[in-house]
Amino acid sequence: MKAYVAGALAGTVCRFVFWLCTLLLCSLSGASAADTAATDPSGRLARIKQRGTLVVGVKTDYAPFGMLSAAGVPEGFEHDLAADIAKRLGVELIKMSVTGTNRLQRLEEGSVDLVIATTGDTVERRQIATMVEPNYYASGVTLFMRPEQSIADWSGARGQKVCALHGSYFNRAMAERFLLDLQMFNNARDAKLAVRDKRCIGYLFDNTAIHRDLLFPEWAGYKATLSPSLVTPWALAIASSERGSDFERFLGDTVAQWHRTGFLIERERAWHLPPSQFLSNMHTLWTSTDTQGKALCSRNASGQWPAACRNKVFVNARDELGLRHLGLWWKEYTGMDLSMVYDSYDRKRFLIGLATTMSLMVLCVLGSLAVGVAGAMIAEARIAVLTPLVRWACTAGRMMPPLLVIYMLVFGLGSMLMTSMGIGLSAMVIVVLCLSLYTGSSIMVAFIEACDLLRNTSPQFQLHFENFRQVLPLSSPLVTAALINVCKATMMSSAVAVPDLLSAVTSIMAENGNVTVMMNTLLLTFVLLITSITRALGWVDRKLRKNFS
Amino acid sequence: MNIEETGALHELIIWTPFLLGGFAMNILIAITAMLIGTSLGACLALLRLSTHPRAIKLSLLLTELTRSIPTIVFQFYLVFMLPTEFELPGTSIRLGFPVWLIAALALSIAVVGFTSDNLSKSLRDWRQGDHGAAFLFIPSWTSYMLIIVIASSTASIIGVSELVNRCNTVVNAIGRTSLMLPMYLYACAMFLLFCYPLIQLMRTVRRQLERRIQQGK
Repeated sequence: MKAYVAGALAGTVCRFVFWLCTLLLCSLSGASAADTAATDPSGRLARIKQRGTLVVGVKTDYAPFGMLSAAGVPEGFEHDLAADIAKRLGVELIKMSVTGTNRLQRLEEGSVDLVIATTGDTVERRQIATMVEPNYYASGVTLFMRPEQSIADWSGARGQKVCALHGSYFNRAMAERFLLDLQMFNNARDAKLAVRDKRCIGYLFDNTAIHRDLLFPEWAGYKATLSPSLVTPWALAIASSERGSDFERFLGDTVAQWHRTGFLIERERAWHLPPSQFLSNMHTLWTSTDTQGKALCSRNASGQWPAACRNKVFVNARDELGLRHLGLWWKEYTGMDLSMVYDSYDRKRFLIGLATTMSLMVLCVLGSLAVGVAGAMIAEARIAVLTPLVRWACTAGRMMPPLLVIYMLVFGLGSMLMTSMGIGLSAMVIVVLCLSLYTGSSIMVAFIEACDLLRNTSPQFQLHFENFRQVLPLSSPLVTAALINVCKATMMSSAVAVPDLLSAVTSIMAENGNVTVMMNTLLLTFVLLITSITRALGWVDRKLRKNFS
Repeated sequence: MNIEETGALHELIIWTPFLLGGFAMNILIAITAMLIGTSLGACLALLRLSTHPRAIKLSLLLTELTRSIPTIVFQFYLVFMLPTEFELPGTSIRLGFPVWLIAALALSIAVVGFTSDNLSKSLRDWRQGDHGAAFLFIPSWTSYMLIIVIASSTASIIGVSELVNRCNTVVNAIGRTSLMLPMYLYACAMFLLFCYPLIQLMRTVRRQLERRIQQGK
């Protein structure tokens, strides 16, 4: 606990220093913004030349853009770009390793001059950093597919099951655009294994990350042949205070040069990247000239690139009528984002989740009862071998975590059956089976204990189908408790991508950020569901007692 | 095939200390959940035996509420809704909730319902002078703790580094998917080896107690 407090304190100090730096930077930029020319010398370019070093934030975990070589030396496509910029400035290059989460923070702190780290150029990021135009590369979304998969374009994926990760920003846009039936996973490994086991046609992810996966021997023969969709361009990023500075202008001119000379295409080839449509389009655009022979993409009087050469920010047009309008108005006034009510896409997901959870509950209740009754009959029948076997399996079954057994069947047995016999097991069937066996053994024990109690008064008692009614009143409290428990346990199914309510809520929350609303809705829905089930089972129990006794 | 099998066995042996560490986390979560759940449940049990009809009603309502909340859902609820850091009142010390504690808190909600039901029955027996029957609470409590040990495997979903989570980590680290089945079987065996003897022991204790009650009568 002590270490924890110390950590928190250190964090506070760091945050204070960070704010101090930001404040300083802001006041500096405020001073320089006073004299507005096409290029304000922010001082950084002069400082870089004066100290003779350029500090660039690069990645070391994203081959082939930025990685460590076998000898531990940082290298990659983006490292080459950093080296070229340093060479043009005539200064020494210092590389600093950054990650996806801290790269823009390093810029704000001022500890790096420039970030070249697979940074997508988005509206949100433009608010916290300066994105240098033109963009130097672009990534899109593609499908990681099995070798024999024959889909040629995105329209072939329409209505098909596609594996995806919770929280990826492109899930919704892709699902809406190509009508994909997304199966949500928590991590990339599970999603790729699901592709292998034919539980979906492909894994939806960033094309540069997928091309990296394809280099591993484990995925030999796998492919990503669909042309990248929802292409997001990548930009060199500098501090937000550098907007309009001579440093930004120098970098923009450099990238423009790279497009014109074909330097980027040449480096792309050198790092064995698949040829990108973006780079060849940009090469054509930046080398084209107007009727007077002047380059089409050249800066105007205010130092801006013409509109045709700039990044067209993707605008998502949405209808804002009726229920949607009301929902947005409510959100505006109360801060409560009820997207699962007013948004048709979220509403459909939520209702499908609710329906899936309810059918899981019904199936598990019926399955558990079937297992319990059958198990108790066999245990009481005193058949050689079979009876002791069932009794032992019942004891052991109750001591194995159902989640572990589900993993074992889905990833172990499921893929074995698929590779050897071509049989695909649905994850939902496996979940119902596992939970029914787990709960069924508790119910079986309840029946057997009731039989033992009956034998106290009539020692000759042996369970048959005909005298089952005698056992029911004695065992019903335990059986009811077990059935309520199995209804609660159906939530485990979201761990193996069954689109249940928990999975739906997690997805909606990840995309809209309405965590509080979704979490309270989830909890309330469950309390209502379980309370109704408890009432329903109580009613059945009373009926049975009345009819049988 | 043979080489691969010995390879798998070798890997299992190498990773055993790491996996056992994960299992210790399962037990820690279960014990913490039992302690929190039992103290809260005991309050409800006492309230249930009170002479005020309103207090009894309140206790029954709260008990039913704790029974209606699935622990997996509650786990997610706490992960997202608890503040990641909070300041101790009157000081500048900032504390956070480690994720294993969140898992234990979520599981404790099941223990509250269990304790409220079973302890109120035992307390009633005790007050009526039936001390033997009251002692039955002890084997039931221990058996319930083993159920919570098994249920604590769901903490892997929110990223607690317990046994199931560590199995996934190891499979990822080695990068051989053929290792999944042996790895999960191994973890199952750990749960079984820990819980089976204890459950059998508790069954014996319960029978002994029941026999003594019978003789007493």
